Amino acid sequence: MMHKYPKEQRYTLAILQDIQRKYGYISKESMEKLSVYLDIPISRIYSMATFYKALSLQPKGQNIIKVCDGTACHIRSSIAIIEEIEKLLHIKPGETTMDGLFSIETVNCLGSCAIAPVMVINETYYGKVTPILLREILKGYGGTIDEDR
Amino acid sequence: MDIKIDNKICKVEYGEYLLQVARRNNIYIPTLCHSDALPGQASCRICIVEVIENDSSKVVTSCVYPITKEIEVITNSEKINNMRRTLLMLLSMRVPNHEALSRLMVKYSVPAINRFGIDMNEKCILCGLCVKACEEVGQYAISTVNRGITKKVSTPYQEPSVSCIGCGACASVCPTGAIDIFEKESKRFIWNKTFELMQCTRCEEYFITKEQLDYMNERLGYETEVLLCEKCKKNVVSESFKNIVQNL
Repeated sequence: MMHKYPKEQRYTLAILQDIQRKYGYISKESMEKLSVYLDIPISRIYSMATFYKALSLQPKGQNIIKVCDGTACHIRSSIAIIEEIEKLLHIKPGETTMDGLFSIETVNCLGSCAIAPVMVINETYYGKVTPILLREILKGYGGTIDEDR
Repeated sequence: MDIKIDNKICKVEYGEYLLQVARRNNIYIPTLCHSDALPGQASCRICIVEVIENDSSKVVTSCVYPITKEIEVITNSEKINNMRRTLLMLLSMRVPNHEALSRLMVKYSVPAINRFGIDMNEKCILCGLCVKACEEVGQYAISTVNRGITKKVSTPYQEPSVSCIGCGACASVCPTGAIDIFEKESKRFIWNKTFELMQCTRCEEYFITKEQLDYMNERLGYETEVLLCEKCKKNVVSESFKNIVQNL
């Protein structure tokens, strides 16, 4: 995958992004391979991979839920949405469910403040999310939800 | 070229750094992250001074400010002292138990503030000197990891680094003694890695790791015949010098 890029240091981030897109995370092996290919120390790559929020060192779930906690969404109680997801899927932001189906992340603004609170699953936007709506949405992705709650 | 620092006329070469000139002229500017061996860090910011040219003044970090004009510099104006006070206050919030920093706090009478949650064990000011030192040595074993409030200096995955040779350059340049390095008998511990130390053939003191010696030999291109510590090396050289002079 990285061989389509020239062996230059400036392509590090682009390659890391490609790896993230394809595998859902940056593994130790891929960092080591990249370090050899670009001839840059692994410590530099590790530094970069931990700096950018878009890059993850842990494998991500099939469906990545991004809940906006920017100012507008925060005021429109995005915290309640995050808490509801935590209850339903038993994971906290930054974590992945045991079945590998979902990951939750909080982000700072999705640029859709008019429909706050906003949530994005993969590439699909959901606006004016309520806890009830949330259950329906998650079911649509095959989420096993504690119905007794 | 002449410049004026705190009303003292100082001779300078074009492009010299302000801090360098001030130090040469015995003018005190406080620093934390400056190292003569690894200049240009400019991250602690407490070496700020006021530069006056063309009737306007600006605040610059003296450790990385090259002199290109005949300027006037003030190192301790009220404005500078106030800014330094804020910087010291913020640094002390991160590193609460630090001797040199505490001394500066007293010197600049920085008020105690307790509205931040403080980690009393934190010693690192994240100046990055250690990372630079490791790069200069040529090993690149450590780097800054994460960002924002979780930023720290570490080896990848906090695991013992393959490239670390245990030279301790990082710990020796650290202005706040934040890097854990300790020695016990013939072993040195640093960055979660244990190194076997080798003895000086003269005084039998343990002083260098095997990896460090191998790396030095490789860089030098030849093997050192007798392994001598810094102190013994000096003694041997001075003795041989003495002999030469006596035999003249």
